[in-house]
Amino acid sequence: MKLSNFATHLTTKCGLSAAQLQQVLPHIKTKKIAKGEYLLKQGEVCSHFFFVEQGLLRMYALNEEGKENILQFATENWIVSDRGSVYFQEPSSYYIDAVENTQVILLNDSFITQVANINPDFRKKNEQLLHNHIRQLYKRISQLLGASAKSRYLDFVRMYPDIMLRVPQWMIASYLGITPESLSRVRKALAKENFKPNS
Amino acid sequence: MKTKNIEKIIQPGTPHFVGDGFRVHNFIPSNIRMKRMDPFIMMDYNETYNFPPTDKPKGVGVHPHRGFETVTIAYKGKIEHADSAGGGGIIGEGDVQWMTAASGVLHKEFHETEWSKTGGEFQMVQLWVNLPAKHKMSPPKYQAITHKQLTKVALPNNVGHVEVIAGNYNDNIGPATTFSPINLYNLKLNKGAVTQLSFPANYNTALVTIQGYVNINSKNTVKQDHLVLFDNVGETFTINALEDATVLVLSGEPIQEPIAAYGPFVMNNQQELVQAFEDFNTGKFGYLEE
Repeated sequence: MKLSNFATHLTTKCGLSAAQLQQVLPHIKTKKIAKGEYLLKQGEVCSHFFFVEQGLLRMYALNEEGKENILQFATENWIVSDRGSVYFQEPSSYYIDAVENTQVILLNDSFITQVANINPDFRKKNEQLLHNHIRQLYKRISQLLGASAKSRYLDFVRMYPDIMLRVPQWMIASYLGITPESLSRVRKALAKENFKPNS
Repeated sequence: MKTKNIEKIIQPGTPHFVGDGFRVHNFIPSNIRMKRMDPFIMMDYNETYNFPPTDKPKGVGVHPHRGFETVTIAYKGKIEHADSAGGGGIIGEGDVQWMTAASGVLHKEFHETEWSKTGGEFQMVQLWVNLPAKHKMSPPKYQAITHKQLTKVALPNNVGHVEVIAGNYNDNIGPATTFSPINLYNLKLNKGAVTQLSFPANYNTALVTIQGYVNINSKNTVKQDHLVLFDNVGETFTINALEDATVLVLSGEPIQEPIAAYGPFVMNNQQELVQAFEDFNTGKFGYLEE
């Protein structure tokens, strides 16, 4: 089992020593899902946070017309979950599925407690990640309410630099809350602005 | 001159589709790492595969490249391509397209529209040739080389001929210009033909049996659709065609610079890769309709 991303996450982001990492390894649970398979469906109670070791997940809701609205993408080293469903143990309104074949690390409260027993800072680091997530959500809501398509797009590619090569355009448009045609126009306008052939 | 021995014979592994139009076996870097075959850093081989007729040409949609050259050799079937610099065209049977992506292009490649309508046997090689650091950000360009333009050299006793795509075969120069020393040939051998090739020992050298099976150095028999990697000790090897054969030969001087590669970008360090993504995302590669 290859866990290089999660091991790096624990040591560099969460401050575990190499010896502590060895103690944690037996507690780690992983899951592999193929492209198109689900980790969560509407109506289910979400049991874990999912750390993406390798691959790409997306979380989405279906609107009244049955159209997918993508809330979040999760590439390597990202965590995705319906945190409300996990915490309040209530049925989820969302879906999480794999855009690519994906391997995730399953995180839950009991895992956090186990690691916190080994390194007490771990709980605090997780709180920090949660608050960072909330900060990002506010930013995203604010952008969806007020920012231009261009500024939404530019912020998106700064956050997910390689995603344009990994997911179809319509999913990106869905995440940005714009039509695929509008995304095309933004990209065309940027090219007009920035493309200097033969320079 | 010393004999160049075989280091490894690689059979085609599980094929995968690039887009929906190219059913390829990846030889480099799956079986031979980039540094080992430097300057040849990627090779996808679409062995002969029968595509049914369709009105909707199959292929690969818009994608970027930066930092290297793509070389497409069409053995069977036809490919249509277009790019963000306004270039485009058709690669016909036997033709070679040498695209210097360098500072960056967006392009798309599909089976040619008319060819798609009848479908049929499709066979091609796509190679990525690395660029030396000082040329990675040069302006992009194309060399559309038709089969007719390839330098053809008859082998003695009518046993076949050599088509020189790039580099030098016995003082016959191929039409493609390159940024580092490279030899790229198609050997067309009649059954029973025996011929020798020589390259400097340090050049990374391999061949692919596009058609037919051959014996190398009177030692190893190599089946069709296999890749042969040679060692970097000797210079000369002998090919004996056990049936009518087409063999792609590639040999190049290693560039010996650091490689930082991610998907369609091949640069020298991480920082340049990050820049490639940023430039691609912000339109600096131009725009191309899907």
